[in-house]
Amino acid sequence: MNWLRVFFAGGVTSYRALFAWVNPWVFVPMLVAYPLFQTLFFAYLGRSAGVGAAFFLIGDSFVAAAITGLFGMGHSIGGERRFQTLPILLASPASRLALFLGRSMPTVVNGFVVAAIAFGLGAWLLGLRFQSGELAKLALALVVSCFACTALGLCIGALGLRGRSVSVFADFIGALMLIVSGANVPFDRLPHVVRTIASGVPLTHGIAAARKVVNGASVGSVGNLLGAELGIAAAYFTVGVLLLRVFERQARTSGSFERF
Amino acid sequence: MIRVFLSGLRIQVLQLLRSSFDVVAMFTWPLVYSSIAYYLLDAKESPRLLLSAALASAVMVMWSQVVVGSSGSFDLMRQNGTLELMVAAPVPLISILAPVMLTSAAFGLYGLVVTLAWGRLAFGIPLGIVHPLAAALSIPACIIAIGSLGLIVASTFVLYRAAFFLGIAMQYPVWIACGLLVPLSILPGWVGPISWVLAPTWGFRAIDRAVLGGDAWLPIGLCLVLSVAYGLVTVVLLRGFEYLARSRVTLRLA
Repeated sequence: MNWLRVFFAGGVTSYRALFAWVNPWVFVPMLVAYPLFQTLFFAYLGRSAGVGAAFFLIGDSFVAAAITGLFGMGHSIGGERRFQTLPILLASPASRLALFLGRSMPTVVNGFVVAAIAFGLGAWLLGLRFQSGELAKLALALVVSCFACTALGLCIGALGLRGRSVSVFADFIGALMLIVSGANVPFDRLPHVVRTIASGVPLTHGIAAARKVVNGASVGSVGNLLGAELGIAAAYFTVGVLLLRVFERQARTSGSFERF
Repeated sequence: MIRVFLSGLRIQVLQLLRSSFDVVAMFTWPLVYSSIAYYLLDAKESPRLLLSAALASAVMVMWSQVVVGSSGSFDLMRQNGTLELMVAAPVPLISILAPVMLTSAAFGLYGLVVTLAWGRLAFGIPLGIVHPLAAALSIPACIIAIGSLGLIVASTFVLYRAAFFLGIAMQYPVWIACGLLVPLSILPGWVGPISWVLAPTWGFRAIDRAVLGGDAWLPIGLCLVLSVAYGLVTVVLLRGFEYLARSRVTLRLA
Protein backbone atom coordinates (compact mmCIF):
# COMPACT_ATOMS: atom_id res chain seq x y z
CA MET A 1 0.00 0.00 0.00
CA ASN A 2 2.78 2.40 0.93
CA TRP A 3 4.55 1.43 -2.30
CA LEU A 4 1.50 2.52 -4.29
CA ARG A 5 1.22 5.77 -2.28
CA VAL A 6 4.86 6.60 -3.03
CA PHE A 7 4.30 5.65 -6.68
CA PHE A 8 1.23 7.85 -7.25
CA ALA A 9 1.72 10.77 -4.84
CA GLY A 10 5.41 11.08 -5.74
CA GLY A 11 4.70 10.90 -9.45
CA VAL A 12 1.95 13.52 -9.47
CA THR A 13 3.84 15.93 -7.22
CA SER A 14 7.01 15.55 -9.25
CA TYR A 15 5.12 16.20 -12.50
CA ARG A 16 3.52 19.36 -11.16
CA ALA A 17 6.87 20.59 -9.85
CA LEU A 18 8.40 20.05 -13.27
CA PHE A 19 6.77 23.18 -14.63
CA ALA A 20 6.29 24.95 -11.29
CA TRP A 21 2.60 24.93 -12.22
CA VAL A 22 0.60 27.95 -11.22
CA ASN A 23 -1.68 27.69 -14.20
CA PRO A 24 -1.68 25.35 -17.21
CA TRP A 25 -0.60 28.10 -19.66
CA VAL A 26 3.00 27.39 -18.75
CA PHE A 27 2.49 24.11 -20.62
CA VAL A 28 1.53 25.75 -23.92
CA PRO A 29 4.72 27.38 -25.25
CA MET A 30 7.03 24.49 -24.42
CA LEU A 31 4.85 21.47 -25.07
CA VAL A 32 2.39 22.65 -27.72
CA ALA A 33 3.97 25.49 -29.69
CA TYR A 34 7.54 24.18 -29.79
CA PRO A 35 6.83 20.67 -31.12
CA LEU A 36 4.18 21.96 -33.52
CA PHE A 37 6.47 24.54 -35.11
CA GLN A 38 9.32 22.04 -35.19
CA THR A 39 7.09 19.70 -37.17
CA LEU A 40 6.08 22.48 -39.55
CA PHE A 41 9.66 23.65 -39.99
CA PHE A 42 10.95 20.25 -41.02
CA ALA A 43 7.86 19.49 -43.09
CA TYR A 44 8.46 22.65 -45.14
CA LEU A 45 12.19 21.95 -45.33
CA GLY A 46 11.35 18.45 -46.52
CA ARG A 47 8.94 19.82 -49.09
CA SER A 48 11.77 21.83 -50.63
CA ALA A 49 13.84 18.63 -50.70
CA GLY A 50 11.07 16.53 -52.22
CA VAL A 51 10.20 14.48 -49.12
CA GLY A 52 6.53 14.12 -48.15
CA ALA A 53 5.12 15.96 -45.13
CA ALA A 54 3.84 12.76 -43.48
CA PHE A 55 7.45 11.64 -43.04
CA PHE A 56 8.19 14.65 -40.83
CA LEU A 57 4.79 14.72 -39.14
CA ILE A 58 5.42 11.25 -37.75
CA GLY A 59 9.14 11.75 -37.09
CA ASP A 60 8.81 15.06 -35.28
CA SER A 61 5.73 14.05 -33.27
CA PHE A 62 7.81 11.16 -31.94
CA VAL A 63 10.71 13.53 -31.28
CA ALA A 64 8.30 15.67 -29.25
CA ALA A 65 7.59 12.65 -27.08
CA ALA A 66 11.32 12.00 -26.81
CA ILE A 67 12.13 15.54 -25.70
CA THR A 68 9.37 15.31 -23.10
CA GLY A 69 10.76 12.00 -21.86
CA LEU A 70 14.38 13.12 -21.78
CA PHE A 71 13.83 16.49 -20.13
CA GLY A 72 10.84 15.45 -18.04
CA MET A 73 12.39 12.38 -16.52
CA GLY A 74 15.80 14.02 -16.27
CA HIS A 75 14.43 17.06 -14.46
CA SER A 76 12.14 15.07 -12.19
CA ILE A 77 15.34 13.74 -10.61
CA GLY A 78 17.66 16.68 -11.31
CA GLY A 79 15.01 19.08 -10.00
CA GLU A 80 15.08 17.36 -6.61
CA ARG A 81 18.71 18.32 -6.33
CA ARG A 82 18.04 21.87 -7.46
CA PHE A 83 15.23 22.40 -4.97
CA GLN A 84 17.29 20.76 -2.21
CA THR A 85 14.81 17.94 -1.68
CA LEU A 86 17.11 15.17 -2.91
CA PRO A 87 18.74 14.39 0.47
CA ILE A 88 15.30 14.13 2.12
CA LEU A 89 14.03 11.93 -0.69
CA LEU A 90 16.96 9.56 -0.62
CA ALA A 91 17.10 9.46 3.18
CA SER A 92 13.55 8.10 3.19
CA PRO A 93 13.10 4.33 3.42
CA ALA A 94 10.77 4.35 0.38
CA SER A 95 11.35 1.82 -2.37
CA ARG A 96 13.57 3.35 -5.04
CA LEU A 97 11.68 1.47 -7.72
CA ALA A 98 8.37 2.99 -6.56
CA LEU A 99 9.96 6.44 -6.35
CA PHE A 100 11.36 6.45 -9.86
CA LEU A 101 8.66 4.39 -11.56
CA GLY A 102 6.13 6.79 -10.06
CA ARG A 103 8.04 9.68 -11.58
CA SER A 104 8.30 7.99 -14.95
CA MET A 105 4.57 7.31 -15.47
CA PRO A 106 3.42 10.94 -15.76
CA THR A 107 6.32 11.51 -18.15
CA VAL A 108 5.18 8.66 -20.38
CA VAL A 109 1.60 9.97 -20.39
CA ASN A 110 2.82 13.52 -20.91
CA GLY A 111 4.99 12.45 -23.84
CA PHE A 112 2.07 10.70 -25.45
CA VAL A 113 -0.26 13.69 -25.02
CA VAL A 114 2.34 16.16 -26.30
CA ALA A 115 3.08 14.01 -29.35
CA ALA A 116 -0.64 13.49 -30.01
CA ILE A 117 -1.29 17.24 -29.90
CA ALA A 118 1.67 17.95 -32.20
CA PHE A 119 0.51 15.22 -34.58
CA GLY A 120 -3.13 16.33 -34.60
CA LEU A 121 -2.43 20.03 -35.10
CA GLY A 122 0.39 19.31 -37.54
CA ALA A 123 -1.79 17.02 -39.65
CA TRP A 124 -4.53 19.64 -39.72
CA LEU A 125 -2.16 22.46 -40.74
CA LEU A 126 -0.37 20.34 -43.33
CA GLY A 127 -3.63 19.01 -44.73
CA LEU A 128 -2.89 15.33 -44.03
CA ARG A 129 -5.60 12.79 -43.23
CA PHE A 130 -5.34 9.35 -41.61
CA GLN A 131 -7.80 6.50 -41.09
CA SER A 132 -8.87 5.71 -37.53
CA GLY A 133 -7.31 2.25 -37.83
CA GLU A 134 -3.98 3.78 -38.78
CA LEU A 135 -4.20 6.19 -35.86
CA ALA A 136 -4.78 3.35 -33.40
CA LYS A 137 -1.71 1.48 -34.67
CA LEU A 138 0.27 4.72 -34.64
CA ALA A 139 -0.76 5.27 -31.01
CA LEU A 140 0.56 1.84 -30.10
CA ALA A 141 3.96 2.59 -31.62
CA LEU A 142 3.97 5.96 -29.86
CA VAL A 143 3.29 4.45 -26.44
CA VAL A 144 6.19 2.04 -26.85
CA SER A 145 8.51 4.88 -27.90
CA CYS A 146 7.35 7.01 -24.96
CA PHE A 147 8.46 4.20 -22.61
CA ALA A 148 11.82 3.92 -24.37
CA CYS A 149 12.49 7.67 -24.24
CA THR A 150 11.46 7.91 -20.60
CA ALA A 151 13.84 5.03 -19.82
CA LEU A 152 16.65 6.98 -21.49
CA GLY A 153 15.48 10.01 -19.49
CA LEU A 154 15.94 7.94 -16.34
CA CYS A 155 19.60 7.43 -17.27
CA ILE A 156 19.93 11.19 -17.79
CA GLY A 157 18.21 11.83 -14.47
CA ALA A 158 20.70 9.49 -12.80
CA LEU A 159 23.48 11.69 -14.15
CA GLY A 160 21.78 14.47 -12.22
CA LEU A 161 23.00 12.77 -9.07
CA ARG A 162 26.56 13.37 -10.29
CA GLY A 163 26.45 16.54 -12.39
CA ARG A 164 24.82 19.89 -11.75
CA SER A 165 22.73 20.12 -14.90
CA VAL A 166 20.75 17.35 -16.55
CA SER A 167 19.67 19.82 -19.25
CA VAL A 168 23.09 19.63 -20.89
CA PHE A 169 22.77 15.88 -21.43
CA ALA A 170 19.07 16.00 -22.37
CA ASP A 171 19.61 18.83 -24.84
CA PHE A 172 22.64 17.16 -26.43
CA ILE A 173 20.91 13.78 -26.84
CA GLY A 174 17.66 15.41 -27.97
CA ALA A 175 19.56 17.31 -30.67
CA LEU A 176 21.30 14.19 -31.94
CA MET A 177 18.00 12.32 -32.05
CA LEU A 178 16.74 14.71 -34.70
CA ILE A 179 19.18 13.05 -37.10
CA VAL A 180 20.16 9.71 -35.62
CA SER A 181 16.65 8.37 -35.07
CA GLY A 182 15.73 8.98 -38.70
CA ALA A 183 13.06 11.46 -37.65
CA ASN A 184 14.11 14.08 -40.17
CA VAL A 185 16.40 12.36 -42.63
CA PRO A 186 15.59 9.17 -44.55
CA PHE A 187 17.97 6.43 -43.42
CA ASP A 188 19.22 5.73 -46.92
CA ARG A 189 20.75 9.23 -46.99
CA LEU A 190 22.63 8.81 -43.70
CA PRO A 191 26.14 7.35 -43.34
CA HIS A 192 26.41 3.71 -42.30
CA VAL A 193 27.91 4.55 -38.90
CA VAL A 194 24.89 6.71 -38.01
CA ARG A 195 22.53 3.87 -38.96
CA THR A 196 24.48 1.53 -36.71
CA ILE A 197 24.21 3.93 -33.76
CA ALA A 198 20.51 4.41 -34.54
CA SER A 199 19.77 0.73 -33.98
CA GLY A 200 20.53 1.15 -30.26
CA VAL A 201 18.70 4.43 -29.75
CA PRO A 202 15.10 4.88 -28.60
CA LEU A 203 12.68 6.19 -31.26
CA THR A 204 14.42 4.64 -34.27
CA HIS A 205 12.33 1.46 -34.33
CA GLY A 206 9.19 3.22 -33.07
CA ILE A 207 9.32 5.77 -35.88
CA ALA A 208 10.04 3.06 -38.45
CA ALA A 209 7.05 1.05 -37.19
CA ALA A 210 4.80 4.13 -37.23
CA ARG A 211 5.73 4.96 -40.83
CA LYS A 212 5.01 1.41 -41.88
CA VAL A 213 1.58 1.19 -40.22
CA VAL A 214 0.58 4.49 -41.78
CA ASN A 215 1.44 2.95 -45.13
CA GLY A 216 -0.94 0.08 -44.42
CA ALA A 217 1.20 -2.46 -42.58
CA SER A 218 -0.44 -4.55 -39.87
CA VAL A 219 0.64 -4.53 -36.22
CA GLY A 220 1.89 -8.08 -36.67
CA SER A 221 4.20 -7.11 -39.51
CA VAL A 222 5.87 -4.44 -37.38
CA GLY A 223 6.00 -6.65 -34.29
CA ASN A 224 9.76 -7.06 -34.60
CA LEU A 225 10.25 -3.28 -34.66
CA LEU A 226 7.99 -2.72 -31.66
CA GLY A 227 9.69 -5.61 -29.87
CA ALA A 228 13.09 -4.03 -30.53
CA GLU A 229 11.85 -0.68 -29.20
CA LEU A 230 10.51 -2.40 -26.06
CA GLY A 231 13.81 -4.22 -25.63
CA ILE A 232 15.67 -0.92 -25.86
CA ALA A 233 13.27 0.57 -23.30
CA ALA A 234 13.92 -2.30 -20.90
CA ALA A 235 17.69 -2.05 -21.39
CA TYR A 236 17.80 1.70 -20.74
CA PHE A 237 15.48 1.37 -17.76
CA THR A 238 17.73 -1.28 -16.23
CA VAL A 239 20.82 0.83 -16.86
CA GLY A 240 19.03 3.87 -15.39
CA VAL A 241 18.08 2.05 -12.18
CA LEU A 242 21.63 0.68 -11.85
CA LEU A 243 23.13 4.13 -12.41
CA LEU A 244 20.82 5.58 -9.79
CA ARG A 245 21.95 2.97 -7.27
CA VAL A 246 25.64 3.47 -8.02
CA PHE A 247 25.48 7.26 -8.05
CA GLU A 248 23.36 7.36 -4.91
CA ARG A 249 25.94 5.27 -3.08
CA GLN A 250 28.78 7.45 -4.36
CA ALA A 251 26.94 10.65 -3.47
CA ARG A 252 26.26 9.36 0.06
CA THR A 253 29.95 8.61 0.48
CA SER A 254 31.13 11.97 -0.85
CA GLY A 255 28.26 13.96 0.70
CA SER A 256 27.54 15.64 -2.61
CA PHE A 257 23.71 15.58 -2.61
CA GLU A 258 23.46 19.23 -1.64
CA ARG A 259 26.22 20.46 -3.90
CA PHE A 260 24.59 22.65 -6.50
CA MET B 1 24.17 54.22 -18.18
CA ILE B 2 27.36 53.38 -20.07
CA ARG B 3 28.84 51.84 -16.91
CA VAL B 4 25.67 49.74 -16.45
CA PHE B 5 25.83 48.65 -20.08
CA LEU B 6 29.50 47.66 -19.92
CA SER B 7 29.10 45.87 -16.58
CA GLY B 8 26.13 44.03 -18.04
CA LEU B 9 28.23 42.94 -21.02
CA ARG B 10 31.01 41.67 -18.77
CA ILE B 11 28.66 39.75 -16.46
CA GLN B 12 26.71 38.24 -19.34
CA VAL B 13 29.88 37.08 -21.12
CA LEU B 14 31.11 35.46 -17.90
CA GLN B 15 27.75 33.78 -17.34
CA LEU B 16 27.56 32.43 -20.88
CA LEU B 17 31.11 31.09 -20.80
CA ARG B 18 30.43 29.34 -17.50
CA SER B 19 27.11 27.89 -18.65
CA SER B 20 27.79 24.36 -19.83
CA PHE B 21 24.26 24.28 -21.26
CA ASP B 22 24.90 27.27 -23.55
CA VAL B 23 28.39 26.21 -24.57
CA VAL B 24 27.38 22.63 -25.40
CA ALA B 25 24.19 23.75 -27.16
CA MET B 26 26.13 26.26 -29.23
CA PHE B 27 28.44 23.50 -30.34
CA THR B 28 25.74 20.89 -30.98
CA TRP B 29 22.77 22.58 -32.61
CA PRO B 30 24.55 24.25 -35.56
CA LEU B 31 26.07 20.89 -36.44
CA VAL B 32 22.70 19.17 -36.21
CA TYR B 33 20.85 21.69 -38.35
CA SER B 34 23.54 21.98 -41.00
CA SER B 35 23.88 18.17 -41.13
CA ILE B 36 20.12 17.71 -41.53
CA ALA B 37 20.14 20.28 -44.31
CA TYR B 38 23.10 18.57 -45.96
CA TYR B 39 21.62 15.06 -45.89
CA LEU B 40 18.05 16.13 -46.58
CA LEU B 41 18.77 18.49 -49.46
CA ASP B 42 21.19 15.87 -50.80
CA ALA B 43 22.87 18.57 -52.86
CA LYS B 44 26.43 17.34 -53.11
CA GLU B 45 26.64 18.82 -56.58
CA SER B 46 25.65 22.24 -55.37
CA PRO B 47 28.20 23.51 -52.82
CA ARG B 48 26.66 26.98 -53.14
CA LEU B 49 23.35 25.67 -51.79
CA LEU B 50 25.11 23.84 -48.98
CA LEU B 51 27.13 26.90 -47.96
CA SER B 52 23.93 28.93 -47.95
CA ALA B 53 22.31 26.28 -45.72
CA ALA B 54 25.30 26.40 -43.37
CA LEU B 55 24.99 30.19 -43.11
CA ALA B 56 21.26 29.87 -42.47
CA SER B 57 21.98 27.36 -39.69
CA ALA B 58 24.40 29.83 -38.13
CA VAL B 59 21.82 32.65 -38.18
CA MET B 60 19.24 30.23 -36.73
CA VAL B 61 21.57 29.53 -33.84
CA MET B 62 22.18 33.25 -33.35
CA TRP B 63 18.45 33.79 -32.90
CA SER B 64 18.20 30.73 -30.64
CA GLN B 65 20.96 32.01 -28.46
CA VAL B 66 19.21 35.36 -28.15
CA VAL B 67 15.82 33.97 -27.16
CA VAL B 68 16.89 30.85 -25.28
CA GLY B 69 20.06 32.24 -23.71
CA SER B 70 18.48 35.51 -22.67
CA SER B 71 15.26 33.94 -21.42
CA GLY B 72 17.43 31.57 -19.38
CA SER B 73 19.26 34.60 -17.99
CA PHE B 74 15.93 36.14 -17.02
CA ASP B 75 14.84 32.97 -15.26
CA LEU B 76 18.17 32.93 -13.44
CA MET B 77 17.64 36.53 -12.32
CA ARG B 78 14.17 35.61 -11.06
CA GLN B 79 15.44 32.55 -9.22
CA ASN B 80 18.24 34.53 -7.62
CA GLY B 81 15.90 37.41 -6.76
CA THR B 82 17.95 39.96 -8.70
CA LEU B 83 15.36 40.85 -11.38
CA GLU B 84 13.45 42.98 -8.89
CA LEU B 85 16.63 44.86 -8.02
CA MET B 86 17.46 45.36 -11.71
CA VAL B 87 14.04 46.81 -12.44
CA ALA B 88 14.19 49.01 -9.35
CA ALA B 89 17.65 50.37 -10.25
CA PRO B 90 17.64 54.08 -11.18
CA VAL B 91 18.67 53.49 -14.80
CA PRO B 92 16.50 52.77 -17.85
CA LEU B 93 15.65 49.08 -17.96
CA ILE B 94 16.74 48.89 -21.59
CA SER B 95 20.34 49.58 -20.52
CA ILE B 96 20.17 46.43 -18.39
CA LEU B 97 18.50 44.28 -21.04
CA ALA B 98 20.56 45.41 -24.05
CA PRO B 99 23.86 43.82 -22.89
CA VAL B 100 22.08 40.50 -22.27
CA MET B 101 20.71 40.47 -25.81
CA LEU B 102 23.78 41.74 -27.62
CA THR B 103 26.09 39.34 -25.80
CA SER B 104 23.77 36.44 -26.58
CA ALA B 105 23.63 37.40 -30.25
CA ALA B 106 27.40 37.90 -30.40
CA PHE B 107 27.84 34.48 -28.81
CA GLY B 108 26.16 33.25 -31.97
CA LEU B 109 29.43 34.08 -33.75
CA TYR B 110 30.78 30.95 -32.14
CA GLY B 111 27.93 29.07 -33.81
CA LEU B 112 28.84 30.63 -37.17
CA VAL B 113 32.46 29.51 -36.85
CA VAL B 114 31.43 26.00 -35.71
CA THR B 115 28.94 25.64 -38.56
CA LEU B 116 31.37 26.73 -41.24
CA ALA B 117 34.19 24.59 -39.83
CA TRP B 118 31.86 21.56 -39.71
CA GLY B 119 30.65 22.20 -43.24
CA ARG B 120 34.23 22.39 -44.50
CA LEU B 121 35.63 19.44 -42.54
CA ALA B 122 32.68 17.03 -42.69
CA PHE B 123 31.12 17.84 -46.04
CA GLY B 124 33.90 19.60 -47.92
CA ILE B 125 31.87 22.75 -48.51
CA PRO B 126 34.15 25.43 -50.06
CA LEU B 127 34.33 28.59 -47.94
CA GLY B 128 35.12 31.33 -50.44
CA ILE B 129 33.89 34.87 -49.67
CA VAL B 130 32.90 36.98 -52.66
CA HIS B 131 32.71 40.37 -50.85
CA PRO B 132 35.04 40.29 -47.81
CA LEU B 133 34.31 43.87 -46.73
CA ALA B 134 30.56 43.38 -46.92
CA ALA B 135 30.94 40.08 -45.06
CA ALA B 136 32.94 41.78 -42.30
CA LEU B 137 30.18 44.37 -41.89
CA SER B 138 27.21 42.07 -42.42
CA ILE B 139 28.04 39.90 -39.41
CA PRO B 140 27.99 42.71 -36.81
CA ALA B 141 24.94 44.22 -38.53
CA CYS B 142 23.18 40.86 -38.22
CA ILE B 143 24.21 40.51 -34.56
CA ILE B 144 22.96 44.00 -33.68
CA ALA B 145 19.67 43.49 -35.53
CA ILE B 146 18.97 40.09 -34.00
CA GLY B 147 19.96 41.34 -30.55
CA SER B 148 17.62 44.32 -30.99
CA LEU B 149 14.74 42.06 -32.02
CA GLY B 150 15.57 40.06 -28.91
CA LEU B 151 15.02 43.24 -26.89
CA ILE B 152 11.39 43.35 -27.97
CA VAL B 153 10.96 39.74 -26.96
CA ALA B 154 12.80 40.38 -23.70
CA SER B 155 10.33 43.09 -22.77
CA THR B 156 7.71 40.33 -22.53
CA PHE B 157 10.10 38.23 -20.42
CA VAL B 158 9.79 40.90 -17.74
CA LEU B 159 6.13 40.03 -17.55
CA TYR B 160 6.20 36.28 -17.98
CA ARG B 161 7.41 34.10 -15.14
CA ALA B 162 8.31 31.13 -17.31
CA ALA B 163 10.46 33.11 -19.74
CA PHE B 164 12.61 30.14 -20.65
CA PHE B 165 9.66 28.15 -21.99
CA LEU B 166 8.58 31.17 -24.03
CA GLY B 167 12.12 31.57 -25.35
CA ILE B 168 12.27 27.93 -26.42
CA ALA B 169 8.92 28.25 -28.19
CA MET B 170 9.99 31.33 -30.16
CA GLN B 171 12.80 29.66 -32.10
CA TYR B 172 11.02 27.77 -34.87
CA PRO B 173 8.30 30.33 -35.70
CA VAL B 174 10.93 32.99 -36.40
CA TRP B 175 13.11 30.60 -38.39
CA ILE B 176 10.14 29.68 -40.56
CA ALA B 177 8.93 33.24 -40.99
CA CYS B 178 12.43 34.45 -41.92
CA GLY B 179 13.01 31.78 -44.53
CA LEU B 180 16.02 30.29 -42.75
CA LEU B 181 16.71 26.93 -44.43
CA VAL B 182 13.09 26.85 -45.58
CA PRO B 183 12.62 28.93 -48.75
CA LEU B 184 9.94 31.60 -48.35
CA SER B 185 8.65 30.67 -51.80
CA ILE B 186 7.15 27.40 -50.52
CA LEU B 187 5.45 29.05 -47.52
CA PRO B 188 1.98 30.59 -47.64
CA GLY B 189 1.99 34.06 -49.24
CA TRP B 190 1.09 35.89 -46.04
CA VAL B 191 4.40 34.86 -44.43
CA GLY B 192 6.35 37.11 -46.84
CA PRO B 193 5.31 40.48 -45.35
CA ILE B 194 6.00 39.14 -41.84
CA SER B 195 9.53 38.23 -42.87
CA TRP B 196 10.20 41.80 -43.99
CA VAL B 197 9.94 43.16 -40.44
CA LEU B 198 12.02 40.40 -38.85
CA ALA B 199 15.73 41.07 -38.50
CA PRO B 200 17.01 37.52 -39.10
CA THR B 201 15.60 37.72 -42.66
CA TRP B 202 17.85 40.63 -43.55
CA GLY B 203 20.72 39.46 -41.37
CA PHE B 204 20.82 36.15 -43.24
CA ARG B 205 20.45 37.81 -46.63
CA ALA B 206 23.26 40.23 -45.80
CA ILE B 207 25.68 37.45 -44.82
CA ASP B 208 24.50 35.14 -47.61
CA ARG B 209 24.96 37.75 -50.34
CA ALA B 210 28.27 38.95 -48.92
CA VAL B 211 29.63 35.42 -48.93
CA LEU B 212 28.00 34.01 -52.06
CA GLY B 213 27.62 37.15 -54.15
CA GLY B 214 24.88 39.71 -54.63
CA ASP B 215 23.96 43.08 -53.21
CA ALA B 216 24.64 42.82 -49.48
CA TRP B 217 24.45 46.54 -48.75
CA LEU B 218 20.67 46.84 -48.88
CA PRO B 219 20.09 44.08 -46.30
CA ILE B 220 22.91 45.51 -44.14
CA GLY B 221 21.19 48.89 -44.24
CA LEU B 222 17.83 47.32 -43.43
CA CYS B 223 19.41 45.53 -40.46
CA LEU B 224 20.52 48.88 -39.07
CA VAL B 225 17.16 50.57 -39.77
CA LEU B 226 15.31 47.70 -38.11
CA SER B 227 17.66 47.83 -35.12
CA VAL B 228 16.77 51.47 -34.51
CA ALA B 229 13.06 50.73 -34.95
CA TYR B 230 13.23 47.76 -32.56
CA GLY B 231 15.00 49.95 -29.99
CA LEU B 232 12.21 52.53 -30.12
CA VAL B 233 9.48 49.90 -29.91
CA THR B 234 11.26 48.29 -26.95
CA VAL B 235 11.37 51.57 -25.02
CA VAL B 236 7.60 51.94 -25.38
CA LEU B 237 6.84 48.28 -24.61
CA LEU B 238 9.17 48.14 -21.64
CA ARG B 239 7.48 51.13 -20.07
CA GLY B 240 4.11 49.37 -20.23
CA PHE B 241 5.31 45.90 -19.28
CA GLU B 242 7.47 47.18 -16.45
CA TYR B 243 4.47 49.04 -15.03
CA LEU B 244 2.34 45.89 -15.29
CA ALA B 245 4.99 43.72 -13.65
CA ARG B 246 5.43 46.22 -10.81
CA SER B 247 1.71 46.57 -10.23
CA ARG B 248 1.10 42.80 -10.33
CA VAL B 249 4.15 42.19 -8.11
CA THR B 250 5.28 39.33 -10.34
CA LEU B 251 8.97 40.15 -10.64
CA ARG B 252 9.78 37.97 -7.67
CA LEU B 253 7.94 34.93 -9.02
CA ALA B 254 10.29 32.23 -10.22
